[in-house]
Amino acid sequence: MENLFRDAICLGIVSRAFRNLSRRKIRALLVVIALGFSMAIMIAVPAGIAANQSATQNLTGNLSNTLTQTEATINQTLTQIDCGLASSAPSGFGFSGNFTPGQFGGGGRGDFNFTPGQFGGGSGIPGEFGGGALGGGGSTPMNESLYTDINSSISGVVAVAPILTVSEGHNVTVTFGDRSFTRLVADYIIEGVPLNSSIIDNYPILPANITAGRNLQAGESGVVILSENNSAYFGVGVGDRVTILGQSFEVVGIHGTSGASDRATLYMSLSDAQALTGNTGEITSLEVFADTTDDVTAVSSAISALHAELDVVTAQERLSQLQQQQTNYDAQLANAQATLNQTQSQAFEEIIVAVAATSLIVLFVMLYTVRERTKEIGTLKAIGFSNRTVMSQFMLEGILLSLLAGVVGVAIGSIAAPFLSSVLLPTVGNSLGAGFRFTGGLASTTAVTVNPELMLIGFGVSVMLGALGSVYPAWRASKTRPAEAMRYE
Amino acid sequence: MSELALKIVGVSKVYQLGKRNVNALANLNLDVKKGEFAAIMGPSGSGKTTLLNVIGCIDKPTSGKVLIDDIDTAGLPESELYKIRRNKIGFVFQNFNLLPYLNARENVELPMEMTTKSKNERTARANGLLATVGLAGREEHRPQRLSQGEQQRVAIARALANDPAIILADEPTGNLDMKNKQDIVKLLANLNLKQGTTIILVTHDGQVAAHTERILFLNDGKITKEKEGMHLAKKNICPYCKAKLQPADEKCPNCGKTVRFRKKAQVRLFP
Repeated sequence: MENLFRDAICLGIVSRAFRNLSRRKIRALLVVIALGFSMAIMIAVPAGIAANQSATQNLTGNLSNTLTQTEATINQTLTQIDCGLASSAPSGFGFSGNFTPGQFGGGGRGDFNFTPGQFGGGSGIPGEFGGGALGGGGSTPMNESLYTDINSSISGVVAVAPILTVSEGHNVTVTFGDRSFTRLVADYIIEGVPLNSSIIDNYPILPANITAGRNLQAGESGVVILSENNSAYFGVGVGDRVTILGQSFEVVGIHGTSGASDRATLYMSLSDAQALTGNTGEITSLEVFADTTDDVTAVSSAISALHAELDVVTAQERLSQLQQQQTNYDAQLANAQATLNQTQSQAFEEIIVAVAATSLIVLFVMLYTVRERTKEIGTLKAIGFSNRTVMSQFMLEGILLSLLAGVVGVAIGSIAAPFLSSVLLPTVGNSLGAGFRFTGGLASTTAVTVNPELMLIGFGVSVMLGALGSVYPAWRASKTRPAEAMRYE
Repeated sequence: MSELALKIVGVSKVYQLGKRNVNALANLNLDVKKGEFAAIMGPSGSGKTTLLNVIGCIDKPTSGKVLIDDIDTAGLPESELYKIRRNKIGFVFQNFNLLPYLNARENVELPMEMTTKSKNERTARANGLLATVGLAGREEHRPQRLSQGEQQRVAIARALANDPAIILADEPTGNLDMKNKQDIVKLLANLNLKQGTTIILVTHDGQVAAHTERILFLNDGKITKEKEGMHLAKKNICPYCKAKLQPADEKCPNCGKTVRFRKKAQVRLFP
């Protein structure tokens, strides 16, 4: 190796290797591109695996976070009963993993599950997990006065909180196959809650997690608390004034999100919300609180008996739905893990193929070159070149070829890694069926990126493979008989 | 230090051709003095190429000794032979065998690469040699921009690079037209005359061979005949007794014979 190095420095073999490559420019170019692609695969595949791994991790994290939060909220409010008007709209479990305001569906029943995704389906179960204050219930407005009897005529009821939830946003039509769906993409969700000290002091209908400023207080009007997403959307902070639907409010606090729907929800007093949205005297849901958990079943059947038009969901029901959902997610996770395992074994095979292809390309190209230049090599031997120098010359040429290919490979690899890995590997994110982006499926895929380390490794491997593929041809070249110089063709 | 650039003693070379043994060289003996200009002639299959390869250390004899500058090369391994080829032998090929992607100077520098000469020394020597063969000013030209005769000149300069004991020229004029053939023969003759370079050339061409001082006829792997060539006259040597002549001498002062050759030579030699 030391000798090879000395030769490379002292002799013209480096410059000759360059010139030999440039002799057949198109061939060198094609070879470099071919090699570049197989090297790009070597880079893109590990990058794809890394992306899948982190996607799986994210997925696991998202799921368990959401489930934990929801479970915690439900456990806190086991006595809470959601009532809302039954809706004829197909519904399911809304469950967003991608919570930007633009993509977010409101806290109504399943209104962001409009694709035949994995979580879709018309299960008709109202309510939605994960509202910070469990703001479930319908989105259909109903007259609040109709339901005052719940508080007075059903025993075991300790409080009834009327809630008005209104999503503000814009309609988006999406075509999926031959079906098209129009939905409201919420920019933000206004939740009007009764700022009545007997309710807000005792029951969790306001967000518990205030990250800046303060929470709403009893009897307040003209003030709002925003979610962090709202804050970004409106571009205001605590102490600023924000204009919502043409009316100005003071921002008194920012709440941290504790669940899915919560992320786009801003809270104000019920009367403010009713006036603002033109729903005077109307609400979308009732939060009924039973005295004890033992009363919950009796109270909910009493509500159903009294008002058959209402969907009544108790925390226990939500809990069992949650468990059902949990099972569902476990399956998804197992699926993701299986995909990941498959990815890894497939990636291993692909890398082996790419490695073999690279060395074989170098091997055949160099063998061809050596054959083609037999006479030239014979001449070099005849005028006094040693076997070692000839071998160095051809090794260097092969290494140089793969070095150039390495540059091209790294370039292609880093640009086309997402594409290559999507072609070559199954994607964890895709398997989780975020049918298309608007669903904001749970499995947000992680971008496939090639980091400098991987580039360096890819580059090193390409040089090694170049050397490997050149050994035999270079050895053949060094064994060329000098008498070949005399061959007259 | 002997007077001989090349001494071949009892060299045989046997090839296996199917089940038949072919004696390409059969107990061949040959001495070539330093500064001699010799031609080897013979029909196809007479062993010319084999002899040249054996002398040039690119083929090993089956038996016998090949002494180049007093070094017996017949028994040397390849790890030593390439040094002999590099330092003692200068090859000139029928097809010139220049490296097409190197310019004239770089081609001439090639054999010096593995020597102790510095890059500057190599370049200076290459330029000097190219001037010697009449290619001053053409150093940067690649082979495809040179005529065939010029390419062969570059090849001759390359053969001279390491100041070899022997220049081995294999049909050096075989691919050249009449004008270039004359130029190359004159160039070789001048090198021999002025610089005392030992040259052995293999040729089919009697006219070319006539310009050497010694013509060896090879047949069935043996030297069957030897003739003096006209180059002797140029060297002012008596073809009969090899005594040194003065340019004006009509008769050899040593043996008294008429040196007719010299007059004839002026007619028959290339102008």
